Amino acid sequence: MKKKQSFLKKLEPYGFLLPCLAVFAVFLFYPFAKTIYLSLFKTNKMGQAKIFVGAGNYLDLLKSDSFYNSLVVTVIFVIIVVFISMTLGLIGAVLCNRTFPGIRFFSTAYALPMAIASASAAMIFKIMLHPSVGIINKLLGLDINWVSDNRYALICVAVLTGWLNSGINFLYFSAGLSNIDDSIYERASVDGANAVQKFFRLTIPNLEPIIFYTLVVDIIQAFQSFGQVKILTQGGPGESTNLIVYSIYRDAFFNYRFGTAAAESIILFLIIMCLTLIMFKVEGKGKGGN
Amino acid sequence: MAGLTLRNVCKKYENGFQAVSDFNLEIRDREFIIFVGPSGCGKSTTLRMIAGLEDITDGELWIGNDLVNYREPKDRDLSMVFQNYALYPTMTVYDNIAFSLQVRKVPKKEIDKKVHEVAKILEIEHLLDRKASALSGGQKQRVAIGNAIIRKPNALLMDEPLSNLDAKLRAKMRVELAKLHKRLETTIIYVTHDQTEAMTLGDRIVVMNKGFIQQVDTPAMLYEHPDNKFTAGFIGSPSMNFFKLNVGNSRITDGIELTGDRISFGEMTGYKARILKKQYMVRQVIMGIRPEHIYTEDVYEAKEDKNNLVLIPVTIEAQELLGAESILYFRLNGERYCARAAAHCRVEAGDQLKLAFDLNKAHFFDPEKEFNIIHQFQ
Repeated sequence: MKKKQSFLKKLEPYGFLLPCLAVFAVFLFYPFAKTIYLSLFKTNKMGQAKIFVGAGNYLDLLKSDSFYNSLVVTVIFVIIVVFISMTLGLIGAVLCNRTFPGIRFFSTAYALPMAIASASAAMIFKIMLHPSVGIINKLLGLDINWVSDNRYALICVAVLTGWLNSGINFLYFSAGLSNIDDSIYERASVDGANAVQKFFRLTIPNLEPIIFYTLVVDIIQAFQSFGQVKILTQGGPGESTNLIVYSIYRDAFFNYRFGTAAAESIILFLIIMCLTLIMFKVEGKGKGGN
Repeated sequence: MAGLTLRNVCKKYENGFQAVSDFNLEIRDREFIIFVGPSGCGKSTTLRMIAGLEDITDGELWIGNDLVNYREPKDRDLSMVFQNYALYPTMTVYDNIAFSLQVRKVPKKEIDKKVHEVAKILEIEHLLDRKASALSGGQKQRVAIGNAIIRKPNALLMDEPLSNLDAKLRAKMRVELAKLHKRLETTIIYVTHDQTEAMTLGDRIVVMNKGFIQQVDTPAMLYEHPDNKFTAGFIGSPSMNFFKLNVGNSRITDGIELTGDRISFGEMTGYKARILKKQYMVRQVIMGIRPEHIYTEDVYEAKEDKNNLVLIPVTIEAQELLGAESILYFRLNGERYCARAAAHCRVEAGDQLKLAFDLNKAHFFDPEKEFNIIHQFQ
């Protein structure tokens, strides 16, 4: 009797976890396993696995110029997006980290991009970037076909994505800043530090854990950008904005090569996982060194 | 190093709260001056105005020969120890101490020499590589002081630096601060609500209440000659006993009779009595007597001069043994008072005994304006 009770006791925590695990299983574990499975097959138009090719899909990808192009474009895109979203978020947070009349309005304005769907933002940008009626060309007095010129298309998509991602960063950084004890700034003032010294010697080091966290999240998020590309450039002109996720979408739903698309997904997953692991390792080392 | 002058300094917050009113003070070079008062009396606000962390609403602040009202904190050349130490948590102890020199772009070699010098004085050399967040309270305190004394600032400001330490460490640091002041020969402005710190450390003490300076004087003068009832009650522990009394005619020439509601202190003579007779005849006064000027009967018997010593029966409420002495809490006329007694004096709650009140040592205050009558009319 006692034994039975203790066995039930051991099962109890798993019972509580069950609903959550069930949801994960349906929407996460199963699709993930299925993706791995699909990546080993050639499929038919319905996405059903037909011919087993083993690592064939992966080998094809590694030989494909288009895939390499996708990787390069994605890396450039990620760098621009992360840089813009972090900088915008940080500047906004530092500027709003004081009280003055109307501060709430500014805070909301900086956090707002978070609430805008990438598709609708892309629509608005499309109008703003329109070569003949767009406000950007009008204001700058230029005549550039932003999204159709392969020199600018990637930058346009990246800036849009950076701005969209800056909202959540603004929130993270604001929370981080309000956690820093005001008295250390007061002491720094009396000690003779100017605003720049305070920023680099107090604000940045104190925000470091949050900066690191947002960096990881931003990179992952940037790798997965899709909606804005779909609406603004459809991967073009040429393949200049053919980000990995867009390329996956194209392979799967235009070319009906579900196997290849699955293989690309797995490679994207591996890249993100490795990057994250490396970053945590570096961060951990930085901590240990002190 | 320099002296400081505050002229009619006021602080009024936007919500209309007047934190400091008409603050006038001349702080001499190398003086150890203490701002003391209950919480909310404006002492920290005054210190922060000197540091430049709060705007001065009205009045003038001079450091040496410069008017510094509108000078940024970083340009006032002061250093400050905060109540919570305000160490930079991400930096090492070394950088925490060296920060004020680093931001002034002092050569690294010189900084290194000075940091080690300061660390040696404060006995924290072994901690230099530690992160500030990994220190104990006492160590943090030393680091904060280290940062403050590494330069030779115009003045060293301290905002309740000992209040976060435990009692034993506090007593130790108090002694060390006094030594440090002698060694550094710098002006120190020190804020505390603890009158023991004030009495033991200060060359002069500024007693504040509700934004006003009550009295500025040396510790001994404050204790023996309080200017008003607030200072008298605030300085000294346990605090002074106050009685509301009427000054009446006495049969003795030059004497007066002091009577309360249902209590009589009888005849009083001497110069204090003369002043009271002249100025406050048939009026009310507040008499203050420190606990050590209320004697038990055996001490009373041993006194040769019993002039102005009044024996009054009281009911003991409690006794607090402090080791070397004891405090007697007693009730008189419904009010609670206390007296200092020898440690061997053992009484029980509820005991009836006679205590002698030494009217020679009593202070007399105006019941409305609370000033010291004897000082006023002497």
